[in-house]
Amino acid sequence: MRDRLVKRVGEVAAGGFVLAIGGLLAWILSTQVDYSLLASPLIARRFAEAFFLVIQIVVISSLLSVSLGVLVGLGRISTSNVTGRIAKGYVEFFRGTPLLFQLFVIYFGVPRLWATGEFPFTDWAIPAAIIGLTLNHGAYVGEAIRGGIDAVPNGQMEAARSLGMSRVMALRQVVLPQAWRNALAAIGNDQIILVKDTSLLTVIAVPEIMSVFRNINSNQLDPWTPLVWVCVLYLAITMSMSQLVNGLERRSDWGSDSRMFGRLSGLGSGDDDGGEEA
Amino acid sequence: MTGPLVEFDGVDKSFGDTQVLYDVDVDVDEGEVVVVIGPSGSGKSTLLRCANRLEEIQGGDIRLDGQSVIETDVNEIRQQIGMVFQSFNLFPHKTALENVALAPEKVKGEPEEEAKRAASDLLDRVGLADQAESYPGALSGGQQQRVAIARALAMEPRVMLFDEVTSALDPELVGEVLDVIEGLAADGMTMVLVTHEMGFAREVGDRIVLMADGRVVERTETRSFFDGPSTERGQQFLSRLL
Repeated sequence: MRDRLVKRVGEVAAGGFVLAIGGLLAWILSTQVDYSLLASPLIARRFAEAFFLVIQIVVISSLLSVSLGVLVGLGRISTSNVTGRIAKGYVEFFRGTPLLFQLFVIYFGVPRLWATGEFPFTDWAIPAAIIGLTLNHGAYVGEAIRGGIDAVPNGQMEAARSLGMSRVMALRQVVLPQAWRNALAAIGNDQIILVKDTSLLTVIAVPEIMSVFRNINSNQLDPWTPLVWVCVLYLAITMSMSQLVNGLERRSDWGSDSRMFGRLSGLGSGDDDGGEEA
Repeated sequence: MTGPLVEFDGVDKSFGDTQVLYDVDVDVDEGEVVVVIGPSGSGKSTLLRCANRLEEIQGGDIRLDGQSVIETDVNEIRQQIGMVFQSFNLFPHKTALENVALAPEKVKGEPEEEAKRAASDLLDRVGLADQAESYPGALSGGQQQRVAIARALAMEPRVMLFDEVTSALDPELVGEVLDVIEGLAADGMTMVLVTHEMGFAREVGDRIVLMADGRVVERTETRSFFDGPSTERGQQFLSRLL
């Protein structure tokens, strides 16, 4: 009976929350947003340009940071003390300092290491952005991969080795495919954060989505209209990304664990209204 | 060949400061089935794991057909020693067939088709031809363990080690696994088994090695062991079981 009461209270609270936020949103959308500005081709074009630039930066940084993360994860479990420590140091540094600081180091600091006029990049902002996002998220992906490897039972390595596989072969054939599956959710999470982190690039002069907002807001003195654009564009990227991750997770479900989890969650749902299916 | 196929010669093994094997001598002749029994913590499983160097030994030697296991390349020696584990350890991301074919393909470099054909024959031998495309998660414990046996056999080892392979199984699934092992014994496979199944030990074992506290306390023909152990420790152990 008590379970049911708690459930009901939760439903009322959640419903109230949705009503309040929905009401506020409806009020903003009806009083604050200038729909002719919202639909004007000028704004649409500028946001579209920023949107496609962000997508390019995200795709490149994603691929690079996941590749780097695999290397870092492998470094973390290396039998070599040197490799292990370097990987650990890398993770500590890039996880332990703000991305904004890292972007400043790369964007402002690095070109100063060359004599005036000698720095080979004329437009350094986008390369700097990709390098910063890759290095930063490579550290997080690396930790996700290491966690994924740690979660593979030791018996898997032993079984593979007992068949005569070398350690490297056992990692490649047996441990890593399982580690990847274990790490997928955490990696997906991190890559969604990467998408949102592109908003920081506005401060190193990358013409991305937030910089279009700042520009329109200061010209039109109207924050809400461009904010609608910003919200929709980010959600478009992050939501397609979660779809992609879900797809990947389904693909690497070996028809086994889903049953096991089904059985386990069946145990947990001994709940009095009997609504759940096992 | 004159000497024994597998020879544990004065094996000492420690984990840090704790010594778990003391001067263990065990010989296994070709085609023989040696069953290692003894109370928990007596070092039976550790002894097996030393044989294919999942554990390194601190003293003595282990020889396969006269050749020191310790001095041979580890990946080389393991191909000749098959091992089956208590917890199956099948690769969950591979089908039963792929589990069996993986090592012949990757380690021995057999062509995929050939490896798969051989794997399919082995699955047939353990009675699982119809489960070739199943993933381990969809198999029962007994079926998984039979796939694990096929997987070890796929490398065509000279000796098979079985480490309490029925201990993690539901009682009604033990029989199907023991049947497969009995079949191997009948085919003349050299085997070392660690087990708590005394009935099975009696049936399939040529010789019994009783271990206690890291030492071999009795080493004798199966029949004479079950008729009456010669040592007091052996009598104690048996009386507690029967």
